[in-house]
Amino acid sequence: MQLLASAILATEAAASEGSDGVKLLLPAGEELIAGIIAFAIIFLVAWKFALPTLKETLEARQAAIKSELEAAEKSKIEASSLLEDYQAQVAGAKAEAAKIIADAREAGEAVKADIIARAEGEAEAIKERAHEEVASERARVADDLRRQVADLSINVAEKVVASSIDAETQRQLVDRYIEELGGVH
Amino acid sequence: MGLILASATCDPSTEIICAPENVRELFEFRTPIFYLGPLPVTRTVFLILLAAVIVSLVLYFGLRKKSVVPGKFQVIVEAIITFVKDGIAVDIIGEHGARFAPWLLSIFLFVLMGNLYEVTPFVNFPITSRIAIPAFLALLTYVVFVVAGAKRQGIRYIVDIAWPKSVPVALRPLVGLIELVSTFALRPITLAVRLFANLVAGHLMLTLLLASGWIFMSHVGEIGARAAIGIPWFALGLGIYVFEIVVIMLQAYIFTLLSAVYVQTSLYPDH
Amino acid sequence: MEEIKGAVALIGYGLAAIGPGIGIGIVAGSAIEAMARQPEAAGLARTTMFLGIAFTEALALIGFVLYFLA
Repeated sequence: MQLLASAILATEAAASEGSDGVKLLLPAGEELIAGIIAFAIIFLVAWKFALPTLKETLEARQAAIKSELEAAEKSKIEASSLLEDYQAQVAGAKAEAAKIIADAREAGEAVKADIIARAEGEAEAIKERAHEEVASERARVADDLRRQVADLSINVAEKVVASSIDAETQRQLVDRYIEELGGVH
Repeated sequence: MGLILASATCDPSTEIICAPENVRELFEFRTPIFYLGPLPVTRTVFLILLAAVIVSLVLYFGLRKKSVVPGKFQVIVEAIITFVKDGIAVDIIGEHGARFAPWLLSIFLFVLMGNLYEVTPFVNFPITSRIAIPAFLALLTYVVFVVAGAKRQGIRYIVDIAWPKSVPVALRPLVGLIELVSTFALRPITLAVRLFANLVAGHLMLTLLLASGWIFMSHVGEIGARAAIGIPWFALGLGIYVFEIVVIMLQAYIFTLLSAVYVQTSLYPDH
Repeated sequence: MEEIKGAVALIGYGLAAIGPGIGIGIVAGSAIEAMARQPEAAGLARTTMFLGIAFTEALALIGFVLYFLA
């Protein structure tokens, strides 16, 4: 405090000796003291707070940017691997679909062939049965006809020849006739 | 205010510009407003202490949040600090520059704030136009660069300056003398006076032009005469106001830059 | 005599400002030339220009102070 007061007094004394303009070139004591105090405050704040804090902030920012870049890189790699997976899956699905279609087509062909074969078989069977039926009918009809013709001929012959021929000769004649008739067909 | 009242009596027919009797009236505010202990707090002292408070608050609120994504204010504060730390301290001084960063940063901020008072409305008085501030800062720079040089080079620091090996032997005494004077006498004086003189000149121009213009426009003579003299003065004053905004930033930069250069030449004299 | 004394000091300052004025002009001109020739070194040229101006300006400033002393 003594020092401060004497410093102020000293500059006052020096100032009062010089001319008017010189006074501007001599520091005023209280302003010098205030300047020292103010500079000390600013220096302390800059030294102990501002620069360390800024360093911290910049380091944090650098770390954040770095980690963000790394995360982005990582997710990019992940995304590309995912894409590959999907592409592989899609290709597999396509192949499977193609195989299913081919299988279905094959099965369809088989079924078709089977159905056609069976239908042909059936048609053949129907035709055969029809033939058989026709043949048996014809045989029966022929039998019937032969019997009726025989009876008819006997009746007719009996009536025509009456007693001119004995019964034995008559039968022989008729049988021969029937045989000739049978040989016709 | 005292100036305006005093100048209200000036007569435009005899004086083209309203100057006070003594320019010291524009710079000396020695009436204490109150006392802080033994320290008389005058207007200037108040502004000096206020500068410290403002700078501290700006630094505190600018850096407090430590946001990874900074806001506008934080970006500005960070840019200023980075500018002084990297653009001046490390760029000029070199590898040891970061150690001088707190000192250079506080010089830059203090001078910048002191200069900014010149163009701050309602303050309009740069504390750096009082020789006490530049002289103290220049003295501090002087101490820093002499101590830095002596610490790094020892006695060779003085010897190399007084007996420079890079010039012919015949010229060494002369060049050595010039170098001694320029390094140890002229450097601190010019450093202080450069800032002081720039701010004194700026403050004088602004005050005389703006105050004269205002007084002529509002107080003196007929309305025609008022406009004829007052408006050009005031317009010129506004032009110089803009110019001074550039000057005060440049002066704060140059003061810091020169402080750094002086330290650099003490540390590495060969460069 | 008081009137003349003031005027002499002003003339002294005016004379002191001539040399540095020319010097600063040369410094700034050379710096612009350097920047135009090598734009990539503009930062260095600018810093050096400010330094050169600051050193040259010192002479004018001493004249300015002498005005107050006279």
